[in-house]
Amino acid sequence: MIKRTFQLVLLLVLILNPGIRGQSAYPSTGMNGMAATAHPLASAAAIDMLKSGGNAVDAAVAAAFTIGVVEPDGSGLGGGGGMVIYLKNEQKSWFINYYGRSSERAAELDFSSSRDHSTAMAIGVPGTVAGLLMAHERFGSLPLKKVMEPAISHAEYGFPIDQTLAKLILDNIDKILSDPATAAVFLDEGFPRMEGEILVQRELARVLRLIAEKGREGFYEGELASSFVEGIRARGGVLTEKDFASYQPELTIPLHGTYRGYDILSSNVPQSGISLIQGLNMLENFDLKASGHYSESARTLHIMAEVDKLIYADRYQYLGDPGFVDVPVDGLTSKEYALERFNSINQSKLDPPRYRDAEYGDPGVFDENYKKEQVLEAETAGGHTTHLSVIDKEGNAVALTQTLGLFFGSGQTVAGVLFNSAMTNYSYNADNVNYLQNSKQCRTSITPTVILKNGNPFLILGSPGASRIISTIIELVVNVIDFGMDVNEANLAPRFYCQKFEDYLHVEAGIKPEVRAELEWMGHPVKVYEGIDLFFGGAQMIYVDPQTGEYSGSADKRRGGIAIGY
Amino acid sequence: MKTRIATYVTITILFLAGTSLLAQKFEQPVLISSAGQSADVKLVKMLAQRQGLNATTVLMAKPEDLTGFKTLVIVPGFSSKGLGAAGISQQDELERVQSLIKAANDLKIPIVLMHIGGNARRQGQSDSFNQLVADNSKFMLVVKQGDEDGFFTKIAGARNIPLTLVEKIAETAEPLGNLFK
Repeated sequence: MIKRTFQLVLLLVLILNPGIRGQSAYPSTGMNGMAATAHPLASAAAIDMLKSGGNAVDAAVAAAFTIGVVEPDGSGLGGGGGMVIYLKNEQKSWFINYYGRSSERAAELDFSSSRDHSTAMAIGVPGTVAGLLMAHERFGSLPLKKVMEPAISHAEYGFPIDQTLAKLILDNIDKILSDPATAAVFLDEGFPRMEGEILVQRELARVLRLIAEKGREGFYEGELASSFVEGIRARGGVLTEKDFASYQPELTIPLHGTYRGYDILSSNVPQSGISLIQGLNMLENFDLKASGHYSESARTLHIMAEVDKLIYADRYQYLGDPGFVDVPVDGLTSKEYALERFNSINQSKLDPPRYRDAEYGDPGVFDENYKKEQVLEAETAGGHTTHLSVIDKEGNAVALTQTLGLFFGSGQTVAGVLFNSAMTNYSYNADNVNYLQNSKQCRTSITPTVILKNGNPFLILGSPGASRIISTIIELVVNVIDFGMDVNEANLAPRFYCQKFEDYLHVEAGIKPEVRAELEWMGHPVKVYEGIDLFFGGAQMIYVDPQTGEYSGSADKRRGGIAIGY
Repeated sequence: MKTRIATYVTITILFLAGTSLLAQKFEQPVLISSAGQSADVKLVKMLAQRQGLNATTVLMAKPEDLTGFKTLVIVPGFSSKGLGAAGISQQDELERVQSLIKAANDLKIPIVLMHIGGNARRQGQSDSFNQLVADNSKFMLVVKQGDEDGFFTKIAGARNIPLTLVEKIAETAEPLGNLFK
């Protein structure tokens, strides 16, 4: 049955999309379910679960395990992530934070992000397995073995390498070569496996089977965990067996905000739903529709870029692990603070003239519980991730983003698992809220989001793309809500990005030349990307028509993948 | 078997191109450079090392770097990551490669194109580099996947440039070494 499904899906992939993940983006519709992921096989795994009677959580967990196999550059068992779950019948929402933590011995490391990003020193305690299992155990309905079947099958029997993965193997050859175990997976005779070759990961299949049989214990305790620790420490890392055994994902509620009558449910701190909500709160003070779409109106784009700059400045100043630092959540998400920040924007020119001179605000005024002062510092650029969105027949929705940190994480494969580079996401300035401490979570850009209209899912979305994630999600939301675009138009619309720690306003060429010229006149140093570019993320979106209830999905052409509905 | 296939493909294309590989002599030392700053150039460096070539790799070689070299191997392929790391724009890179090629032609240093990235280094921004280097090469060594649409074959035919197509990156090592025997 598994093989048959696999072969059928492969056939579908080859017919619709001959091995080219990066050139897909088929819009899709359905009434019974929808999955949008960065790889056709992961979307197919999700739909397979829905058709087998599973719910959106079963489907999302199946897709998440599968995407870690078929898109091994972006996520996997050795990484972490976050998941927003909306249960429609119960009208309840949940957030599972399964991002990694630093080791209990992390402070012993003399770690440099620029020097050690592709070593075992960069590895944080992985959370993906615990997070996905928590979601399945708490909210899933199908047996775990069933949910993990597609991932095990694709790891065991292999799948054809698509163009995106082939390119990423080439682009990251130094990292892959740095570890013989990683090289053994992605290279053939010492050189990169190419598009169309079948990538088999038998050791990974063995680990997946162990998880399917023993659950969390199979990964975080016992022989396998000992192998992880031994292998990581032999390569200079410091993870301990206690780090693995004690890792716990957090089940909380999503951060809640509103935007023009819609409810925004997004990842809680130290993930970046807070910045999305802050940005949308600020934009609520501006009539985007009247000003025109940002690809055609320099004024709109200028305002949005200035909003990006300010929310990123606040983010660097205030966002850290709430178990270690005081985060002014109420202040940063308050409408009053957003208005104050919006009113500080010079609407006719870039002010101050350098993005880096943007100042953080004082949300503490709007947050009676907040008290701490901190120091700004940019996080390491990078963060190469994956997002998937799922909805089932009942309207239960999941937005899930997970990552290995950098592409191929630390580049270190131990006992079949490619481990993350989470340590590159910390600050090494002791005054920064994101300063590395033992057993701490780092700040991360991931922003899985579910948007509701009158209690019903309206938009389910998220994206990879490191620090570009937040600006990309804001653009997608306004494209749908303010500019009335359908989900595919919104996803294909040109993107832009800037923030405090940037020297350029990055724009795709779809931003009209006259708009770019006006932006330069306003003082923005514009950097143009031909066509569309993976730099700006790879959003996976599902839209629910409020009138008909029909689901429309869109997989981002920049990153590829496919939305499948039925 | 693989060697025979490569030889066959080479001979076929030589025949079609109406020229002879033996007409062009390639000598060492070899300068290897990129056109587009993809990581592929690092793999070509490894291939050259495996073949024991006297080769030096300069990612962003300039005309003055050609001094003392008798063959220039250029590895085309666009990488925004590579250009970003180098701190240059695509236009800067195109201009650098143009000046390098012009200098090599002036000095009568033959250029060998090595395109090893397959589809990942075709179309889009890569093809401006592929075209530029192919048009000015004396020999092309290409992993077949990058020529599925006949891009390099057409240029080889139109310009009488010998072309060797191989299935996999690892299979470029032997024909690369043979160029210098």
